[in-house]
Amino acid sequence: MIDIFSTPALVTIILGSVALLIPILDALNKERGAKNKVYSAISFGALALALIVVIYRIFSGENLPAMSLTNTGVIGDDIFGAFFSIAFLIVSIMVTVSSWSYMKKRSNHAAYYSLILLSSIGMILIGYSTDFVMLLVAWELMSIPTYALAAFNKKDPISNEASIKYFLFGALSSAIIVLAMGIVYGLTGTTNIYDSIVAMSQLNPDLIPFGLLAVGLFIAGFGFKMGLVPFHMWLPDTYSGAPTTVATLLAAGTKKAGFAAAIRVIVIGMIALNVHWTFTLAIIAIFTMTLGNLGALTQKSIPRILAYSSIAQAGYILIGLAVAPYSDYGLDASLLQIMNHAVMKSAAFIAAAGVIITLAGYTLEKYKGLGFRMPITAFVFAIALLALAGVPPLSGFWGKYLIFGAAIDSGQTIWWGPYLAIAGILNSALSLGYYAWIIRKMYMEEGENRVRQKEPKSIVAVLLFALGFMIIFGIWYGPLLDLASMAVPNDLIHLISAK
Amino acid sequence: MVEVLGFEGIGISAWLIWMTPFIGAAFIPILRKRSEKIKSYVAVAFSIISALLALSILPLGLSNGEIHSQIPWFSALNIDAGVLADPLAIIMSNLVAWISVAIFVYSISYMHGQRSLIRYWFFMLFFIGSMQLIVLSDNLLMVFFGWEGVGFASYALIGFWYTDRKKDYVGKEGHTAWGIPQWTSPTHAGIKAFLLNRAGDVMMLSGMFMIFMYSGTFGFRELLADQTWAHVMMQQNLLVPAAVLIFGGAIGKSAQFPLNEWLLEAMTGPTSVSALIHAATMVKAGVFLVARIGPLFFALSVFNMNQFFEIVTWVGAITALLLATQAIVNPEIKKVLAYSTGSQIGYMMMALGIAGLSTNFVDGYTAGFFHLISHALFKASLFMAAGAILHTVHSRFMNDMGGLKKNMRKTYIFFLLASLSLASAPLITLGFWSKDAIFASILESNYEFSSYVFLIAVTVAIMTAFYTFRMVGLVFFGKPSQNVVNIENKGHRIREVDKIMWLPFAILAIASIAFGVVGFAFEGQLHHIFATYLASSFGITEDGVVPLEGSEALQSSPELTESDAAITGGSEQDSLELNPFAVVSSVAAFGVGGFLGYLFYIKRIADPEKVSDNVVSKALWKFLYNRWYLNSILYWMGVVIPLAAYRRIYKYFENILMYGINPSVQHSMVVMSRVAKAVQTGNVQTYLYVFSAGIILITMLLLS
Repeated sequence: MIDIFSTPALVTIILGSVALLIPILDALNKERGAKNKVYSAISFGALALALIVVIYRIFSGENLPAMSLTNTGVIGDDIFGAFFSIAFLIVSIMVTVSSWSYMKKRSNHAAYYSLILLSSIGMILIGYSTDFVMLLVAWELMSIPTYALAAFNKKDPISNEASIKYFLFGALSSAIIVLAMGIVYGLTGTTNIYDSIVAMSQLNPDLIPFGLLAVGLFIAGFGFKMGLVPFHMWLPDTYSGAPTTVATLLAAGTKKAGFAAAIRVIVIGMIALNVHWTFTLAIIAIFTMTLGNLGALTQKSIPRILAYSSIAQAGYILIGLAVAPYSDYGLDASLLQIMNHAVMKSAAFIAAAGVIITLAGYTLEKYKGLGFRMPITAFVFAIALLALAGVPPLSGFWGKYLIFGAAIDSGQTIWWGPYLAIAGILNSALSLGYYAWIIRKMYMEEGENRVRQKEPKSIVAVLLFALGFMIIFGIWYGPLLDLASMAVPNDLIHLISAK
Repeated sequence: MVEVLGFEGIGISAWLIWMTPFIGAAFIPILRKRSEKIKSYVAVAFSIISALLALSILPLGLSNGEIHSQIPWFSALNIDAGVLADPLAIIMSNLVAWISVAIFVYSISYMHGQRSLIRYWFFMLFFIGSMQLIVLSDNLLMVFFGWEGVGFASYALIGFWYTDRKKDYVGKEGHTAWGIPQWTSPTHAGIKAFLLNRAGDVMMLSGMFMIFMYSGTFGFRELLADQTWAHVMMQQNLLVPAAVLIFGGAIGKSAQFPLNEWLLEAMTGPTSVSALIHAATMVKAGVFLVARIGPLFFALSVFNMNQFFEIVTWVGAITALLLATQAIVNPEIKKVLAYSTGSQIGYMMMALGIAGLSTNFVDGYTAGFFHLISHALFKASLFMAAGAILHTVHSRFMNDMGGLKKNMRKTYIFFLLASLSLASAPLITLGFWSKDAIFASILESNYEFSSYVFLIAVTVAIMTAFYTFRMVGLVFFGKPSQNVVNIENKGHRIREVDKIMWLPFAILAIASIAFGVVGFAFEGQLHHIFATYLASSFGITEDGVVPLEGSEALQSSPELTESDAAITGGSEQDSLELNPFAVVSSVAAFGVGGFLGYLFYIKRIADPEKVSDNVVSKALWKFLYNRWYLNSILYWMGVVIPLAAYRRIYKYFENILMYGINPSVQHSMVVMSRVAKAVQTGNVQTYLYVFSAGIILITMLLLS
């Protein structure tokens, strides 16, 4: 049933075999824990190969569908999945390469890289799933390795606390997702996503409340990963407590997997039920943005600021989802921002990781005078923060610009569209309050220690890559947006919402 | 007409011409720890690569071909990025590229031993990249990017010696007019240039976007192809204002009246910078912009664009006169050259404006661009030679020089050759032919006030010849000044600068004479190229404007068949004839001005100070030396009074009102943030409670 040469299968094979190979290699090796560089290089190679496969498949001339919902199998080979896979793979590559430096003085390297690869497979499969059961399996495949990764500093109580909180809510949300799937199965009698969409659109009016209940549960279940308010509570504790590279994977990778699932299931699937459900998403979006930004405003620890900021960013992206049925490019804009955010947020977290390795601290005070002490790290960090704030001509600007533009456009059919844009713009202004504050600390204040530090090489390499991405796709965002538009099944949305 | 579209083949070199210098600029900082030689050679190599790329498309330009290649840029706004290398752009691009190479080579020696060479080369390369971007881009938006790039590079290089040592100032210490100091530090000069340019840029930006609002495109070709936007704008009386606003950008960049004051202070930069940016290339960007959009607006002549061209003409004429008068009295060699630059650019603007007021657009157009070429050659040469002199005598004042003819033989000869071109010595100099072409086009125009314009042009020509000879006389003739004697007494003999330094300006000076000897034929060739270019790209022929084939232009004349014949036959009728009156007045102007200058400053039959020792001359001298008080007015109106007003505003509005409001906003945010933090208790019980409450709320919201 599954074509062995379809992209998801190939990528699973590549990453899976390497993920299993690394612990075996480690077991064969007598000298424990000294092979960090080797494993990092192997994982990087596997991820890069997977990325090449995905990109090649998009441009190889085979006419891939935007989103293969009619597929009877559990996995579709489509551009939507490919788009998310590119984002996930870029994040995983950035994480593995920066771990070259980050994991140098830590133990259990084999498990670490293996878990990252396994989690990546999970994320990628979520992007490609066309069946609820497959989606659930992929969801767990993504989540379970990250529970272990979050607790990777096993002697650090904060890391353990982070992991426990994450695990509790992960388990809860998985249960809720299963419950929602159960309801949908009960209503429609199928686990295929497309079939249940069709069945939902012809649902007996008496049963619609149950369908809506399922939507609510899906929002809660997926919203936990996306960090939507009020399902975000675990997020700041986990992101700031987990090892910083793992936090990168969580914030930039698994969070986006939540969006992939949400678009597949909630947005596409549930438009069929009742178009007006999107108002709920709009309200969640406003709360998410505002709470995220307010929470970040007075924090003292950089990973915590970044955690809250990633809550706020999820709010911006959610605007595009909320206006998707009413605007021609709401989803395009959200996808563009998802890709941008993956890189921007990874850059910010990895810069923080670099500071933690070199200066052994993550409080705002440690960042005083960083512009001189670690010039490259500080510069890319500053650019990443500005990109997150949406300052042109960096890549973050275009995502936000299009999202707010779509929200304003949607005002032609719904009254609340423009208010979303206004809320988003006010929140962007508010967010500069803490982004600019960090930059000010780095460049305009001097700390007690003014010694120039040696910057970890692999982290510098990752940061320079991110810098290039943010600037090049800021000036010339055309290719990214084209790819995002290719991945959005616009005709499908129109078809369903017209019903 | 050859047309190359897209990226294929030679199209890629049009992109690379402007990208190469940017790549070079990004590369230079890597050489931080290398020796000075390597830094300089790498920078020169990048400029040569760019110049060779420009050369590779020159044959295409001369055969009236063009490269037009576009890629999508802001797809949401339907804006494309593109290069448009038509004959105009190709010729300009080669001029910029090769003069840059000469000046880069000169810089190797001139900047020898200076600190922060990385900064110098970075901005020089950045400058060429931006300049070529202006020249080669196919739309106003990209032009504007380049425009800001050159403005930024200019700012950074004017203030290159940012430590503000007294010797890097311009102006005489203690010289004030109406309470405003007329001597300026490099940093001050940089900021002044930047701000005055911004004034022009704001105008240009608003003009651009006005047109964009109605046409939905920035592209030169797109604007021409579909002219309905012009029709709509005309009905609302916005077309001429928009055109004039765009011209405002050119006024700022080319230092034309009333934004002319920055160019003189710009002389605080290294002389190589003055030569490249403030004489040969950047200040020509304004002229180039007018040459770019002029034919477009002329092609819209259905809508009567005369007012626009009148403004261009008079701005040029006033600037030419204004700055020429001031050049006569200035004691600093670089400032005389700067005044002269502004004044000569005034000539170019005049010619381009007059072109739009004549039926025969191509004559004035060619004259203006011809003068641009000749001026670029001889003025770059003059600046570099002046730099060589400054290098030797360590003073910017001409009365600290004198009698240098003997010891700086080569500099003297080449400076003289280039000067002859500036003064437009008849028949053998390029400057003569280009100025003559301008005169002829003014005489032949059917503008009602053309006689006044002509009068101004001739007056300026007389003054130009006079101040040129004054400069040559003060620097090279007469007795060595006290300063020179002092230097020699200290044991440093005044001697010729080294080869790397004099070769570049020698080549340019010789070129301006060599082309000058065949100047008339050169002009004829240029005329032919532009006549074909204007006819094929804009439909501008000697008989007025005809609609282009396949364009949706609004038709001005119904006789389409006849006009078609004019296009095909046009190229044969574009032969050039000498206008005898223009030649005579040009020669006469050189004769009068040059003779007076020769008598007073080279032959020295009378001491100019004694001759002018009367009340009238002194008042006049003071008026001119104080720059017509324009600089003082600028400072009073633009700086002193607004600052005083702003202090008031600050005191009452900012201090009382804003400082009342701001903290309360800040406090409320901080309080709300604390609340958000307080919810985050760290207890899993709280988290679970919120989570479940959330599910219930959301489900209720969905069901409502």
